Amino acid sequence: MAWNLKSDRPIYSQLVEQIELLIVSGIYPAGSKLPSVRDMAGEASVNPNTMQRALSQLESDGLLFSQRTSGRFVTEDVDKIMQTKNSLAMSIINEFIDNMNNLGYNRQQAVTLIESAAEEEI
Amino acid sequence: MLRKLLKYEIKATSRIYLPMYALLIVFALINKFFIAVNADYLKIPMMIAMTVFVVIIVGICVMTLVVTIQRFNKNLLTDEGYLSFTLPVKVHTHVDAKMIVALLWSVLSAIVGVVSVFVMAINEDTIQKWSKFMSELIPAFNSLGAAGYVIVLEGIILVVVATLSAAVKIYAAITIGNMSSKHRLLVGLGAYLGFGVIEQIIVSIFGSSMSSRIEIYFRNLDTIASKAAGAETALLWLIVYTLIFGALYYFLTNWMLKKKLNLE
Amino acid sequence: MENILECQNLVKFFPGCLALNSVNLAVPKGKIVGLLGPNGSGKSTMIKLANGLITPTSGKILINGMEPGIETKKIVSYLPERTYLNDWMTVNNMIEFFCDFYTDFNKQKAYDMLQRLGVDPSLRLKTMSKGTKEKVQLILVMSREAELYLLDEPIGGVDPAARDYILDTIIGNYNENATIIISTHLISDVEKILDEVIFINKGNIVLASTVDDIREHENKSVDALFREVFKC
Repeated sequence: MAWNLKSDRPIYSQLVEQIELLIVSGIYPAGSKLPSVRDMAGEASVNPNTMQRALSQLESDGLLFSQRTSGRFVTEDVDKIMQTKNSLAMSIINEFIDNMNNLGYNRQQAVTLIESAAEEEI
Repeated sequence: MLRKLLKYEIKATSRIYLPMYALLIVFALINKFFIAVNADYLKIPMMIAMTVFVVIIVGICVMTLVVTIQRFNKNLLTDEGYLSFTLPVKVHTHVDAKMIVALLWSVLSAIVGVVSVFVMAINEDTIQKWSKFMSELIPAFNSLGAAGYVIVLEGIILVVVATLSAAVKIYAAITIGNMSSKHRLLVGLGAYLGFGVIEQIIVSIFGSSMSSRIEIYFRNLDTIASKAAGAETALLWLIVYTLIFGALYYFLTNWMLKKKLNLE
Repeated sequence: MENILECQNLVKFFPGCLALNSVNLAVPKGKIVGLLGPNGSGKSTMIKLANGLITPTSGKILINGMEPGIETKKIVSYLPERTYLNDWMTVNNMIEFFCDFYTDFNKQKAYDMLQRLGVDPSLRLKTMSKGTKEKVQLILVMSREAELYLLDEPIGGVDPAARDYILDTIIGNYNENATIIISTHLISDVEKILDEVIFINKGNIVLASTVDDIREHENKSVDALFREVFKC
């Protein structure tokens, strides 16, 4: 997977977002063991300290937990993951609605457009 | 650490010396063959072979000097110096290693030179002449008693100290030359000549104050035994002189490498 | 000893040039730090001082609490900007050399990295291209398990693909007891592996901060900030 890190925002917060995505999309499934900090840092080509900071943040957010000798794991709390997924989805939706508003569509019109687009897809 | 530096120093230099030694022995044997056969039609090849032999000997002498200079300069004062001086090794150990190896090759070159001439010249005739010479020399030597051994020992010490001192004098000059960024060679050469001048001055001052005493001393040597003692003393003074100046150059070199290192 | 490198009122004066002007600095263990500044800013001088290649005019520089000497050279691994290896030796010879003089040299690691970068260890250094020589140097330096790595322009002369491999190697080598100080101009390439950066100009420390702090507070990359601070 490609880690797309922008240069004008703190790296660790971008890492937090990207790992969240990996968790909610199931690429790192609930209860699975994460690779070591060093491996993840190497994959993302970032400093291990920065990766550590991001993972600590996710731990305090409740998406990850660590067992002293065995390493870090994704939480088994499926509800929690669902929650995160939903709130991420909500941000995307709200952003979409804002963008549509900028185009001049109100909320109802935006929803209608989505439904017709979805039908075409199928 | 010194041993390790010596190992690599010898590795670096043997690639140059050993082939030349081998070449010398080869030509010694070729010449020996020509001399033994002594045929008219071989006159020209013999001349050529002998010339080559002499050239190689001269080459080895020049090579010893060149390599002594080049190893010190290249390994410590060019880009390689970045590696040398970041090794966990004291500065003086580097100088020690180079001095010892310079001594090693000087002695070896001399030995190989002598051996090759020997190999070339040895035949029944020369063996006879040599035995006769030895049969006269050995009793004369024994008559000196202990003094004889002392003189030989002093001679060896003098050769060793003089070679080491010569090497470190060159090193001191090179290090001074290195301090100038644009005219390294000239400044180094100048420093070397400068050392010679200073040595002369000091010796003259010292010598002139002692000259009368020295004259009296040598005039009073009449017996063989006292002549031998005279030789012992003279050699001893030579050793002291060489040691003092050698030590000065040694401390100068080390001090400059520690405090005034200028790697570009 | 918390700090691997400390400068206390460090001054270095060359005839005609004040290279370091009473610098005070503390670099902790376990960090990857960028030492950034234009040419002639004093970066190389500071690195040479840390290596004991030159001595301070006044003030102190301390590696793990000690002044530069044999004990610090044992724990510092230095990659200079130029090729400093003995030309006539083969790579195998150089590895043996490093093993002989440094007890913290990891032979296996060196051979692994050489293989990954496709370098034949039986070749003489003299026959190699500049880029390959630089790779070999870097491998030798990173194969030591040192406490302080001083890398002077480690990715300067190398192609972009090798650059990535080198940066990955640096990250991979990271251990929380060692510090890596990278002096470079290629900031944007190196930025994301740095914990902290130090901006130095004309012998003075202009800025010392973490990369994330800079991005958070200035909303720009370190590279962009650098260009601003050092605008000609």
